[in-house]
Amino acid sequence: MPSWFGKVNFVPYSKVSDFAVHLKDGRLMGSVCTECGDFSFPPRADCSECMNGSFEFKEISGRGTIYTHSTVAAAPTGFDDIAPYTVAVVDLEEGGRLLAWIGDTIDEVEIGMPVQVVPRIFEELEDIRVYYTIELPGTTWGKAP
Amino acid sequence: MSRVGVIGIGHGRFGRRSDATVQELAFEAFRAAIEDAGIDREAIDASVIGAVPEYHKQRSVAGVVQEYLDLNPKPTWLTEVACASGSAAIRTAWMAIQSGLHKVVAVIGCQKMTELSTAEILALMGRVGEVQWESVFGTTFPSYYAMFANRHMYEFGTTREQLLEVAIKNHHYGAMNPNALFRKEITMEKALASDPVASPLCVYDCCANADGAACIILADEERAAEHGDRVVWLDGVGCATASMSVLRRPNLVGLPSAQEAARQAYEMAGVGAADVDVADVHDCFTIAEIMAYEDLGFCAKGEGGSFIEEKRSYIGGDVAVNVDGGLKAKGHPIGATGVSMAYEIVTQLRGDAGERQVPDAGVGLTHNVGGIGQYTFVNLFRRD
Amino acid sequence: MDFDLEGKGAIVTGGSLGIGRAIALELAREGANVAVNYRRHDDEAKAVAAEIEEMGRKALAVKADVSSYADAEAMVAKVRETFGRYDILVCNAGITWDGVIWKMTEEQWDAVINVNLKGYFNYNKTAALHFKDQKYGKIVNISSINGMRGKFAQANYAASKGGEIAMTKSLAKELGKFNINVNAVAPGMVLTEMMEKIAPEFKDAALAETVVGRFATPEDVAHLVCFLCSDRSRHITGEVIKIDGGQYI
Repeated sequence: MPSWFGKVNFVPYSKVSDFAVHLKDGRLMGSVCTECGDFSFPPRADCSECMNGSFEFKEISGRGTIYTHSTVAAAPTGFDDIAPYTVAVVDLEEGGRLLAWIGDTIDEVEIGMPVQVVPRIFEELEDIRVYYTIELPGTTWGKAP
Repeated sequence: MSRVGVIGIGHGRFGRRSDATVQELAFEAFRAAIEDAGIDREAIDASVIGAVPEYHKQRSVAGVVQEYLDLNPKPTWLTEVACASGSAAIRTAWMAIQSGLHKVVAVIGCQKMTELSTAEILALMGRVGEVQWESVFGTTFPSYYAMFANRHMYEFGTTREQLLEVAIKNHHYGAMNPNALFRKEITMEKALASDPVASPLCVYDCCANADGAACIILADEERAAEHGDRVVWLDGVGCATASMSVLRRPNLVGLPSAQEAARQAYEMAGVGAADVDVADVHDCFTIAEIMAYEDLGFCAKGEGGSFIEEKRSYIGGDVAVNVDGGLKAKGHPIGATGVSMAYEIVTQLRGDAGERQVPDAGVGLTHNVGGIGQYTFVNLFRRD
Repeated sequence: MDFDLEGKGAIVTGGSLGIGRAIALELAREGANVAVNYRRHDDEAKAVAAEIEEMGRKALAVKADVSSYADAEAMVAKVRETFGRYDILVCNAGITWDGVIWKMTEEQWDAVINVNLKGYFNYNKTAALHFKDQKYGKIVNISSINGMRGKFAQANYAASKGGEIAMTKSLAKELGKFNINVNAVAPGMVLTEMMEKIAPEFKDAALAETVVGRFATPEDVAHLVCFLCSDRSRHITGEVIKIDGGQYI
């Protein structure tokens, strides 16, 4: 279960591994400190503000704008079969940033364009693996806008 | 605070050194440094090794180097901060001497990159950044700097040609450096046409892996003074860190760790950016050198592209940058690079750089970045 | 047990008679809106729909040949439009056309395979397309114990029933990650209109096979199917549950 996240997973265990379970259910989660309410995306178990160790997941909309991007031609092990692919950094509406692949609804990435981050499952894998992609606003996992 | 001086330097040939082990490479540089310093090996009372372990088959590299250099039983340890390991070793030696615990410390930056198979290297390539949230999408070292480049181009209008001017300059000087991996000039046409690596960066924007070693020997003020005007003083050391994850940086158009490390080094040495005559900066990718001009204060934020275009980082310009070829032409044996940079600056400040000599070089610095700016070490050298 | 199918949208193929009818009514009793399809029995199908509407649910009776993929697509579209949602599929429509192999015609073979196996494919696929998107679904494929054992003079029927089981297991693996359960129910002899007509000696032989001394009623099967269409059985998938009074242990 903890190793579900990403095309190749490097972190089998983390205190925020349930992030991937929520992603499978189609929900993008940040974290909130139960003491001081500090919000973080990506989620983290230990509060940067007050150092408290207990957190709760908080769902975010996935709306944001492109901050920067690059199309990777020379891919590392485990990614050569999908090269070239475009990674981008998204400034999220609720705060925090996210890195993911540009998805099929976007033909040309532009810095500043509004986007929707969409939870995804690698559908044709027998194993359960989850990720997310960056799509045009209005996209859901079931359909393009 | 008393001063710490560089009394000896040595450098081996960088390249695909399948002819030697990491400790044999280290010995080449160490022998040259001992000869340059004119001291007995017994005068060394500790060593600090800069190397990145995961590329070597031998675990605990510091131990095998110390053995081969016949420095047992003197103390040694490894400093590792990715590509800044060499400069971290220098800072550590400086601290050891400042504390009074050691008097003469050999700093050896050594690295083999080619002991691993292509597959192993490709796997490591995918784990340069933050592995929990980023590497899972196949980010690579070039892709991170490429994202910086795209943002820099968006905010400041920097062009692909300006990026590649950095590569052209560094190959121009690398051609004159017998220790460099690449010893030929390159053209803009060829550079622009090279294969894409991660947009907008292509092969000619990227440094190459290499094997190699360099060594500098540091001494306390008393012993350094015995070397007369051959000694170069390490008068400023700065170091700062920034988040591993690019998602937690304030922006992706500069390296805050470099800005802060430079500020510390300048303040400690009592100089400013305008006083620097010669610099070796971390040009792992062309955009990195452009951002270095800005982060080090050689020009204003956003003007790095113009800076290189106007040739202000050539010998004869505002400050000579990477006139040993930089990482681009020398190759980048990651643990050795920081020490190689120091070797060049000391050579320049001594007036020994031959056809690559920066006239009247009195103040020089090294800017050595680990990874995508998680760590930056700025070491500032001065000749009295 | 309360299965709480309130508001869910269901399709039951072959829902005008027998087991299908009982399943449709039971699903409706538990709160679902139910669409049945039928091939010939117009009146019976409409009677089922009327009974469902009397319970206060929505109902549809759709004439469709289950071996037609286009008909399946159309039915799913109609259900989504009329009920607003589609969550449950029960594949039940099936025929027999018995004969020993050396006398069995191509037509006999093809007809049974087309209705029973291809028909289940048509409805399982159109359901999967939709259930995947909403990340929720319950599929129950009615098979038979004769798909788990051989039956004399039923090479075509047994092949189709066995095929439904294997298909169910494959689909369970493919669709689990989308929160979709796919199970099979394997009845033995069930007292339906179809069964009334078979010869007494066959009935007696089947009765002797049971350990409980009776046959299943359509309602017995409907209760099990309802359980598998509810969230009470959310952890059961890829399973084949016999409901045969011990006929085949």
